Amino acid sequence: MIALVLGGVLTLGAFIGAFFWAGVPDFGFVRTAGQVDSVRYKGPFEQAIDEARYLANYAGYTVEVEADGESVRGELVSADAESVEIATGSGNVTIDAADFEAATVFGSEYGRPDWGQKIFYFHVPVAEISFVVFAFAAFYAIRFLMTRNRDYDTKNRVSMEVTLVFVGLTMATGILWTKAAWGVWWDWEPRLTTYFILTLLVIAYFVLRNSVEDEERRAVYGAVFSILAFIDVPISFFITRLIPSNHPVIEGGGLEGPMLISFILGQIGMIALGYAIYQLRMGEVQLQERIEQAKTLLER
Amino acid sequence: MASASGRQLRAMLRKDIVMELRTKEMIMSMGLYSLLTMVVYFVALSQAGSNFDPRDIAAGLLWLAFIFTSMLGLNRSLVHEKDQGCLEALLLSPVDRPVIFFAKAGGNLIFLLAVEALTLPVFGFLFLQGTHLDWGSIALLPLILIVGSIGMAGVGTLLATMSVNTSGKDFVLAMLFIPLMYPLLLGAVTATGGAIVGGAQGVSVFWTGMGWVVGYDVIMLLASYGLYEFIVGA
Amino acid sequence: MTEEHQHTLALEVRDLTRAFGVRKALDGVSLELPVGAFLSIFGPNGAGKTTLVKVLTTLLNPSSGSARVLGRDVVSDAVDLRTHIGLISHNPLLYPDLTAEENLLFFAEMYGVEQPHVRVSELLEAVELDHRKLDLTRTFSRGMLQRLSIARALLHRPEVIFLDEPYSGLDPHAMDILDGLIAQIRDSHTFVMISHDLDKGLELCSHALILAKGRVVLYEPREAIDDAAFRQTYRSTVGMGVS
Repeated sequence: MIALVLGGVLTLGAFIGAFFWAGVPDFGFVRTAGQVDSVRYKGPFEQAIDEARYLANYAGYTVEVEADGESVRGELVSADAESVEIATGSGNVTIDAADFEAATVFGSEYGRPDWGQKIFYFHVPVAEISFVVFAFAAFYAIRFLMTRNRDYDTKNRVSMEVTLVFVGLTMATGILWTKAAWGVWWDWEPRLTTYFILTLLVIAYFVLRNSVEDEERRAVYGAVFSILAFIDVPISFFITRLIPSNHPVIEGGGLEGPMLISFILGQIGMIALGYAIYQLRMGEVQLQERIEQAKTLLER
Repeated sequence: MASASGRQLRAMLRKDIVMELRTKEMIMSMGLYSLLTMVVYFVALSQAGSNFDPRDIAAGLLWLAFIFTSMLGLNRSLVHEKDQGCLEALLLSPVDRPVIFFAKAGGNLIFLLAVEALTLPVFGFLFLQGTHLDWGSIALLPLILIVGSIGMAGVGTLLATMSVNTSGKDFVLAMLFIPLMYPLLLGAVTATGGAIVGGAQGVSVFWTGMGWVVGYDVIMLLASYGLYEFIVGA
Repeated sequence: MTEEHQHTLALEVRDLTRAFGVRKALDGVSLELPVGAFLSIFGPNGAGKTTLVKVLTTLLNPSSGSARVLGRDVVSDAVDLRTHIGLISHNPLLYPDLTAEENLLFFAEMYGVEQPHVRVSELLEAVELDHRKLDLTRTFSRGMLQRLSIARALLHRPEVIFLDEPYSGLDPHAMDILDGLIAQIRDSHTFVMISHDLDKGLELCSHALILAKGRVVLYEPREAIDDAAFRQTYRSTVGMGVS
C-alpha cells in the first residue's frame, strides 16, 4: 500500500516536472490563416468592457473590431477596460470600450502564450477519475443491494468519499480554467452544469447517510441513492445540450511531443493517485471497523 | 394474482383520496403554498421593469412553483403513513411492494396535478395579462404538465419514503430531489416555454422538450420501481 | 406452490441470524413451536425480540438461517404467509382520518377477505366498538385504538397471531376485552407474544422463551418450567427487579 502511495505521488511529481518542461509557450489556440478567435459582446450578462480587456491577449495580432455599428481593421496596439487602440493603414484608431461589440482575431506567426492552459493537464485527469470512481461507487452499491454484505457498503462509501475529493478538485480547477480560457468564472454550459449537478448529488449522498440512524438502513439508502445519482448524470449531460449555448468553445488542437507525454504522465499519475487515496482511506475505515467489531464482540 | 394487485391498488388509491377529500389538508396546503409563491414572484420581478416579456420567464416560474409545491406534498403524504405506523400495516398485508409504490406515487400524482391545474390559470391571470398567447400551442401545456408530474411523483415518492425516515426530513428531501429532478425540470421548462411562446418554432421546441422528459420518466421510473422494495424492506 | 401444508409446527426456526457486519440482532436462534401453542417471549431491551417477530412476520429478511411459519418460508413464501398471520403491535397501525369502519374495510380489501362488510361488523361487535364505527379513529382513546387494532389483525382469520406488548397502555376494560378475545380463539390459534409482564406472559403461555443479545437463553414448554428458577433466570437476564 505504501508502494502505491509512493507510486502515485512519484508519478504525480514526474508529471509536475514534465508540466513545467512542457510549458512551451507555443501551445494555445488552433491557428489557421484565417480566424483565430472571436469575441462577441453577448448581452445583458456580459460586460463589453471585459471583452475589450480580453483582447489585450492579442496585442500585435491583426484584428477587426466592430464598434458602434462600424468596423475597424488593423494591428492591435493595446486593449484594456477603457479603450481599444488599433493601428490601421491610416493611423491609430482608439475605440471606447463601452462601444465595443465584437472583434475577430486573425492568424499570425508568433504564438500566444496561454498559461491558463496548464490547468488542463491537471483538470482533465482529475475529472476523468472522478467519473471512474463514481462508477465504482455505483457498482458497489448494486453489489451491496444484491448481497447485503456490509463490505460492499464500506466500499461504496469510501468510493463516494474519494469521488467527493476528486469532484472538489475538478470544480476548483475547472473554475480556474474557465476564468483563464473564457474570461468568466462561471458559465452554464453543458459540461460545467452537469458537473455542478454531480457535485450536488455527491454531497446529497453524504447528507442522506448522515441523517439516518440505523446502520443497515443507512447502507441501503446510500446504495439506492448512489444508483439513482449515477443514472441521473448522463441524462443531465444530454439534456443540458438542449439549451442553445452561444458560448464560443475554443479548443486546442492535437497534442504533440512534450505536451503529450506530460499529459499521459498526468493521466497515469492521477489514476495511481486516485487508487492510492482510495486505498489509504479504505485502510483507515477498515481499521475503524475492526475496532468497532472488537468492541461489539467484547460486549457480548 | 394480477387482479388482487389491482384490487389492492384501487383500495389504496381510494383510501388516500377519501382521506384527502375529508381533510383537504394536502390540497389546501399545496394550493395556498402555490399562491404564496405567486406573491413572491411579484415582489421578485417588481424591479425588473416592464421591458421584459413575461412569456420568456413564465415557464421557469411555473415549474419552480410546481417543484416546491410537490416537495411539500410528498413530504406530507409520507408523514401520514409513518405517523401511525401505517406503512408497516401495509407491508404486513399480502401486497407486492411495487404496488405500494404505484399507489403512493399515483396518489401524489393526482394531488400534484390538481394543484397544477389550479395554479396554471391563476398564474396566467396574474402575470400574462396583455400578452399575446397562441392558444393552439397553449393547449399543449397539459401534456407536459402530466408527463413532468409523473416523473416528479414517481422519483419523489421513492425519495420521500427515504427522507421521512431521516432526521432532516424536508431538507433531506430537497437535497435529494432537486439534483435528481434537474434533467426533468430542464426538459419541462423548455417544453413549457415553447408552448407559451408559441408559433411553429415554439411548438417544435415543445416536442423536443417533451421527448426528453418522456425519456427521463421512462428511465427514472423504471429505476425507482426497481429500487423501491429495497427501501421498504429495510 | 405447495397447497399441502401438513404442518404440526407453527414455527420452525433454524439458526436464524439477522446481522449487519458483526452487529447481530439475532444470533443463531433455533426453536420449534407446535400449532395451537402460546409462546411468550421475554428478554431485556435490545435482545432481539421485536426483530425476531419482524422476521417471522416477513417485515425483515434473515441474513442467514431459515424460518418457517406454518410450513411456509418467510422469504420465499412471504406473500402467501401474510394471509395467515396477524400482528397486534403497540402502534395501532390505523389511519387517523378514516372511520373505524373504513379502516377495517380497507384492510379487509387488502387481504381479500370475503364478505368484508359482514366480517367487519362481526369484529366491531366483538371488540365493542360497533357504536363508534362511523367515528374517525383520530378521536379514539388509546384503549379503543388498541381494540380496533385487534379487530384489524383478526380480519383475515389468521392462524398465527403475533402480539408485541399488546397490553401496554391499555385501560383495564380494554385489557379484559383482549383477554376475552384471546380466550375465545385460544384453542384454534397459535399465539406468539412479546411481553414485559412476566406474570401475564407466564400465565397465558404454553411455551416460554428468553432472549438476550440475539441469543436464546432459555426455551421450555410451560410444564417443564419451575417458577422460581425461571424467575431467577429472568431476573438475571433482564436485570431488573420483578416480583
